[in-house]
Amino acid sequence: MRTFVAVAVFGGGIAHATLGPALRIADVAPDIPLIVVVLLALRRGPEFGCGAGFAAGLLQDAASGGLLGVQALTKAIIGFGIGALGGRLRVSQPLVQVPGLVLLTIAEGLARFSLLKLFRFPAPFGELMTYVVLPQALYNGFLGAALGLALAWAESTRTRTS
Amino acid sequence: MKIRAIVLFGTVAAVCLVLLTLQMRGNTAGASDVLAVVTTPIQSALARVNRTTVGVWSTYREWKNVRAENHRLREEAQRLRVEALTVSETVEENQRLRRLLALKEAMPLATLSGEIIAREWGGWVRSLTVNRGRADHVARLTAVIAPAGLIGRVVDVRPGASIVQVLTDPASTVGVVVVRTRTQGIVEGEPRGTLRLKYMARDGSGIQVGDLVVTSGGGGLFPRGIPVGRVRVIDDRGSALFHYAQLTPAVDFARIDEVLLIVGEGAHDVAALFPGSGD
Repeated sequence: MRTFVAVAVFGGGIAHATLGPALRIADVAPDIPLIVVVLLALRRGPEFGCGAGFAAGLLQDAASGGLLGVQALTKAIIGFGIGALGGRLRVSQPLVQVPGLVLLTIAEGLARFSLLKLFRFPAPFGELMTYVVLPQALYNGFLGAALGLALAWAESTRTRTS
Repeated sequence: MKIRAIVLFGTVAAVCLVLLTLQMRGNTAGASDVLAVVTTPIQSALARVNRTTVGVWSTYREWKNVRAENHRLREEAQRLRVEALTVSETVEENQRLRRLLALKEAMPLATLSGEIIAREWGGWVRSLTVNRGRADHVARLTAVIAPAGLIGRVVDVRPGASIVQVLTDPASTVGVVVVRTRTQGIVEGEPRGTLRLKYMARDGSGIQVGDLVVTSGGGGLFPRGIPVGRVRVIDDRGSALFHYAQLTPAVDFARIDEVLLIVGEGAHDVAALFPGSGD
């Protein structure tokens, strides 16, 4: 299980830049590392969520050529927050998972934009939200819910067989 | 909540902020190099796996079209189709490489060919990773082109790879000139993945849809005359001082696999090497 988690965080961060474009729909690519961080944080708590978010984000920063530390920080915040709140939320239903991931992606986008603005990022807020963050948030919502269901199904199958 | 979790979170936030501050002061090489040693080989391997998977998937889709045929003919057709696909893929790749080679040989500047091993296409950053790096003497701000036109510039050089900022990246700007009218302007990337031509003097600009826009050569970063795109929509803002236009990029960045890095220096006009640049 630990190996799987390590591969998910490490591989997800790097594979995003190489394999992510293959999952594009109408030029919108999902943020797979963010989905992985949220799913792991819900299951393993704030410490793990924070560490996984930092590692996945840092690898994403390195692979994409962006500023090192931006996604590492925003994903660590998301992982920590969701890990801390996860126990109090009922997130087993897709009707909660989809809007939850949409909101988290928007929150990550806002945090990233605010952080990048400190370092003179030139893109306008409105366009980024309309053409990048919101479409990606929707995609993340549905893809994340599907992954969550697949994970739950795999776990229930394993429990039955063991 | 455990104190340990809060301490961990605080440490992570502090590390990120220190990293960001160091980068803004220009001290980035160490950290990004260490990470590149890990990420570059994995990206290369993943790119190969990705291409193989896409190839297999395309072949499968082709096969679906011959299902109605009888068993013997289907087997024969499948065998021939696989062979034909392999040949056509090879021929296509051959043609691509020939075009690249022709451009490389005709270019009056020293160039280096490279293969794309990763793409970042999220909208925040639009970049390509090329398998040429510090070991190949690639420098920061090296211009990157394809037979169809300009791709962008190198913004980060690592031991075995370089990150290329694509023209459609929101932080990308290039000095250009409209070939037909010789009107100067600046092309910027937009978050939606399009190009925008800005700051064209309104008087005498007279640009039209379909006009070719090429690099102006100003600033010495890009040679003069490399196609950037064609005017798609003109944005007339009434009495405003400047004209604006949307451009269709000359290069399809999502489909490009091989590129040329211009490693030689010097102000050259290379318009003659690109069909249509001398309109």
